[in-house]
Order: sequence, then structure tokens, then C-alpha cells
Amino acid sequence: MGWEYSEKTKQLFMDAVHGKPGTHLGEIENPDGMGEHGSIACGDAMRFTFRVERHPSDPTKDVITEAKYLTFGCTSAIASSEALCEIIEKGNYTPVTALQIQNKDIVDYLDGLPEQKIHCSVMGAEALSAAVFNWAQRRGVDLKKLGIDMHDEETEEGRMVCKCFSLSEPYIKRKIRELNLRTIPQITNAIKAGGGCTSCHHVPGGLQDLLDQVWGGQAAAAGSGPIQLPVLQGEPASPEFSPYQFAKKVERVVNEYIRPALRADGGDVEIMDIKGSLVYCSLRGACSNCAGASQTLKLMIERNLKDQVDERIRVIEV
Amino acid sequence: MKITYLDNNATTQVAPEVVDAMAPYFTEYYFNPSSMYEPARQTGQALTAARKKIADCLGHVDPKEILFTGCATESNNTAILGAAHANPNRRHIITTTVEHPAVLEVCRELERNGCKVTYLSVDRDGKLDTREFIRALTPDTLLVTIMHANNETGVIFPIDQLSRITKQTDPDIIFHSDATQTVGKLPIDLAQGLPYVDLLSFSGHKLHAPKGVGVLFIRRGTRCRPYMLGGHQEDGRRAGTENVPYIIGIARALELSMENRVRDEAEIERLRDRLERSLIEKIASVQVNGKGAPRLPNTLNISFHYIEGEGMLFQLSGFGICASSGSACTSGSLEPSHVLRAMKVPFTAIHGSVRFSLSRYNTDADVDKVLEVFPQVVANLRKLSPYWDNEKNAPRADALTLLQQTHS
Repeated sequence: MGWEYSEKTKQLFMDAVHGKPGTHLGEIENPDGMGEHGSIACGDAMRFTFRVERHPSDPTKDVITEAKYLTFGCTSAIASSEALCEIIEKGNYTPVTALQIQNKDIVDYLDGLPEQKIHCSVMGAEALSAAVFNWAQRRGVDLKKLGIDMHDEETEEGRMVCKCFSLSEPYIKRKIRELNLRTIPQITNAIKAGGGCTSCHHVPGGLQDLLDQVWGGQAAAAGSGPIQLPVLQGEPASPEFSPYQFAKKVERVVNEYIRPALRADGGDVEIMDIKGSLVYCSLRGACSNCAGASQTLKLMIERNLKDQVDERIRVIEV
Repeated sequence: MKITYLDNNATTQVAPEVVDAMAPYFTEYYFNPSSMYEPARQTGQALTAARKKIADCLGHVDPKEILFTGCATESNNTAILGAAHANPNRRHIITTTVEHPAVLEVCRELERNGCKVTYLSVDRDGKLDTREFIRALTPDTLLVTIMHANNETGVIFPIDQLSRITKQTDPDIIFHSDATQTVGKLPIDLAQGLPYVDLLSFSGHKLHAPKGVGVLFIRRGTRCRPYMLGGHQEDGRRAGTENVPYIIGIARALELSMENRVRDEAEIERLRDRLERSLIEKIASVQVNGKGAPRLPNTLNISFHYIEGEGMLFQLSGFGICASSGSACTSGSLEPSHVLRAMKVPFTAIHGSVRFSLSRYNTDADVDKVLEVFPQVVANLRKLSPYWDNEKNAPRADALTLLQQTHS
């Protein structure tokens, strides 16, 4: 479907392409900071330059006075670039404080961007960071001393995950964390990874694995994703028992400790099956209509079985 | 002749409100929603609104979890093949013996390609055995695909319970349900009521939208590869230009069914129960298939012992009454319904099954019409049946012996 651009986005784009006074298309000669992001092969690329008013003694007090961009890209890439320059020029930023500008600020300035176009704002923020690092080198400022993580290109030269857009594992992981990305479509929208041939989505070491590594398998639990529970399958829980002995032991605990307590309340429990260390139970009698049934299962039956048979047992209500 | 349409599990009349909603999208807003110009953007917005409407009707899920397809069969193919292709490390699938061919045949195809498939049996009422289901789950299981309600008998499976057991056993198993017969008829809340269902299929033409549009719900985070490859439509999950008017139609139809569901279903159930009760009263040697299980309120699958279904349908058709005998998809085969066979319906009754399925457009007059002609329809055939004693209006005393002789 057609992109849903805000009026602000359309306006900034039209102003830029018509070269309206006050727009920022271009490149500053002998800039104090220059940064690039993207490549023509990837569909959008940006060169960002800025000039500062130099502080006579403390370079960290330099103030950015002018910013310009050259951008190859779509409507929203150009509008994002324009927005970035406006934000910076209006804000009296020093290069260091400018690093606080996130892609989200650009999106907000544009009154929102379609999700598929979020990567345009990310590009702006990335080019800005690169330009600030460039400024730091020129001015001899040690950003690390100021507590700023450089994530320079070298440390991010890891295994290539998305070959279409040449994105490495360390970079993608950092972005997953920074931008709080929870799903593959969110990654693709933000940094394009996985947006080409899609072959890196579910392969070992692919995007889903990176999401799982970063969020510990909790990625999909956000929103209405599938409910994640610990995986448990296969062999009986206790190697010292055969499946028969294990089942007998579970049954004995149920008969001796659990059933009498439930029967006292007019209820009962039936063991439907045992698979590995999963015990499938069905509550009967008064218990089956009880609002606290799942509590009963978890707190009473599972706790008893864990204590008396094996800590790894999990009870599933049928 | 006035048509008495009682075959709504096969397809439904398109609601006039749905036709009205669709009309402008043929001649006025006909643009490709992927195009960039302003009029196309309006078409795109209508598509977005339709997607949101459907997401809301399914329990306010995320509209991104709604995928539009060409039909329920495509939704089922996408779900099952997509899940299998995205999870090549696992090779086991669980389904039931009574699924629609759009699920069964896809499972058989995967079986030919090396997957192992467990087909769960049903009892005489058409119900599944929970123990058998639990036993079937293995560490190699990649997918469970179980229909929500059966198209032939209307028997409802407890997919809330089955999906919960599945995901609590192993969250990596994908749970799919073919809900073609229940969406629009039963409340479907994928956020609260069915939080463990990953994939859910249905089509428009079973709920008063036109044929040619279906939906697949894909819960966020579910591993599933696309089936139709090509353009970037539907976030790359289903290529092909969006069928905008039909998508508008299915959204409007679902919305209508939600608005009227409680009232409609109570009325439909009353009509169905009246039809069922009266047929049992008026006709001897009758059995209702699936009687002992929870059933859809609109479906009556009823068997008349010692006669054959096609002969009944043909006569009914002479009175303008439309019903079916077994699934329309299995017609053309000489085998009786695989669903009734799985339920072990006795061979005296399996060929004599008729399915009546109602919709909100049926009235008492339709039921009256069936009751008026049906006893004679059955009597006509029983007169010809070698197993029927017309004087006693009961099976001949030696009917079973005769049958056993011919069968042995």
C-alpha cells in the first residue's frame, strides 16, 4: 500500500527538493565533522556534515552552528535528513550532546514515519554519530573518557548475518538492544536486516537466534506473541529410575499425599499421562469447577512432586 | 420455485450489506493499493481499515497478525507447509482423521516427503481422546493442526484446551486450527480465549462474504515461511495484489456476524433443534451424528438407516431444498464420508446421511418445508429398500443377516 506520510514529512521533502531557503541540502566545505551511513547498493545513503563554533580552550564546549546533508533515498530518507539538520541547528547542541539525538527524535519531529520507513530515521542518527566521532578525532577529544561507547566499525566487524545489506552480528545485536527490537519485522523496518532475500530469518545464527540471544527467548513474549514456557521433552527426568519406576513413584506420592487432601475437599485428581518429567493431571469432582484449580495444581501437586520425586517435574493441567 | 437453502456449511449467500460495502471498490476505488498516487492511498487506507476490523473481531489482536489469502484452503496450505518449511529440524505432525481435505491432503503430501503424521481418531460421537492426544506429542513434533469444528457434523473440538496442553508441553510446537466453520458462528478471541493458538484459518464465503477471500491469523513470532512467492504484499508473507473489494467484503461480513451473532445463533439453534426434533418424531430408524458432542448450533447431520443419501438429495432438490450428504469436497468419490467412517457410524446408516446447515437467512418456513416433504422422501426410498418392512415401518427382522451375507 502507499506510504502513509505525515504532512510534516511531505512538507520537508517538498521544501528540500525545491531548495527552499532554510533547507539543508548540500555539503559543508572543510567541515568540523563528517559522517556517512548506508550505501547506494542498499537503497539509501547519507553524508552528513556540520560546522561548529570552536570554543577557545575546551573543544567539548564547541557548539554546532550549521549542518548539511547529501542523501540518496526516498521521500522519508530526505525528510529525515532535513529533520535531523533542523533539530540540530535549533537545539544549540555541542557534538557530544548531539549524540543524545536518537532516531526516535527524528520520527517525532516528522510526526511519525510508516514502520517500513523507520530505517530512514536510523540512518540519520547513525550518520550523526559517525560525524561526531569524526569531529572528536579532528579535535582530539577522547569520547571514551566522557563515558561514550564508540562502537567503532572494527569491533563490529563480526560474522555477516544479513548478506543483502552487509550487516554483521555485533551491529545487529547492538541495534536490537538500543532500539528495543522484538521481532524480525521490527529489525527489518529499523535497520533493513532481513529485508532482502529473507534467508537469514530462521537459519541457525540468523535473526531469530540473535533476538533469542539478546532477549533470552523472551522476544516473542512481548505483545500478543506466543506464551513462552520452559522447554522440556524427552527422557525421564531421573536417570536413576526407569520410566516405569518413575511413574510408580509419582503415583505413590499422588496417592499418599495429594489425593487424601483433595478428597477432604470433595475433589480428586487423575494422572492422565507422564512424558519425561511432564505429569499431565486432570482435576475431578469439586476441584474440576474450582476457580483455584490451576493454583492447586501448581502449588500443591507440583510442589509435592518436586519435593518428593524430582525437582524437574512440571505438572500440566488437562 | 422458491429455493430453500440449507447448505450453509458449503457456502453462504452474500449479505446485501456486504455487496454494498464492496461495490465502490470495483468501479471507483479500483486502484492497486501498492501504488504511490493519492487515490491508491485511499484504497490502501480502506485495506488497512478492513484488516483492523478483522483483527478487532478476533479479540483485538494486532492487525499485522492478519494475512489475507484466496481461500481457507490456501490459508491451510500456507500454515502447514509454511510451518514445516520454517522448522526443518522437526518432522512430526499431529492432526485428526476428520479434518477437511485442505488439511489432510497437505499432511499426506508432507508424509510423502518424509514427515511422520499422527492421525488422531474420534469416538462414536466424533470426540477426540485427550489421552491419545497427549501420547502423540513427541520431542520431534513441529505442528499440531486440529480443526475448530467439523464441517460435516458440526462437532466442536476443544482447541483452547488442546493448544494449551501443546504449548505447555513444548512452546516450540506450532498450533494451527482450521476455523472455517466457526468464525462468525462462535466467539473467537485469540488474545484472551485462545492465547495458545499460533495459526488460524478461515474463509469469507462461509460467513456471507463472497468466495475467493480467506484469512490466516499468524501470531507474532510464529515461525512460518510464505507459500505464495512474488511481490512484497502482506509484509512479504503472501505475494499477489491484494483482492481489495473482497477483503472489504470479508471484513464487513465478519463485522455483521459479530453485531448479530448472539441473536442470530440463538434463532438458528432454535430452528435447527426444531428440525432435528421433528424429523426424529416423524421418521423411524434415524440417528443424529455427533449428538453426544458439543456441536455448532447451525448443523444437523442426520442418518436414515437402510437408504442412500443421494436419492434423498435428488428428491429434495425437486422441491427446491438444498442440502448435502457428506462434504461437497469429497463428492465424486464412491467412498462414504471419511468423517462418518472415522466415527464408526454403522454401515446401515453411513450412506443415508444428510447434512442440513442453517444461516441467519433461514426461517421457520424453511423448516416447515423440509418437514412437509421429508417423511415422504424417506418413505419413497424405504419402499424400495430390500431391508425395510413397510408394514411395520421398521427394518426387516432379517435385515442385518441379509447385509452380513452380502458383505461376507
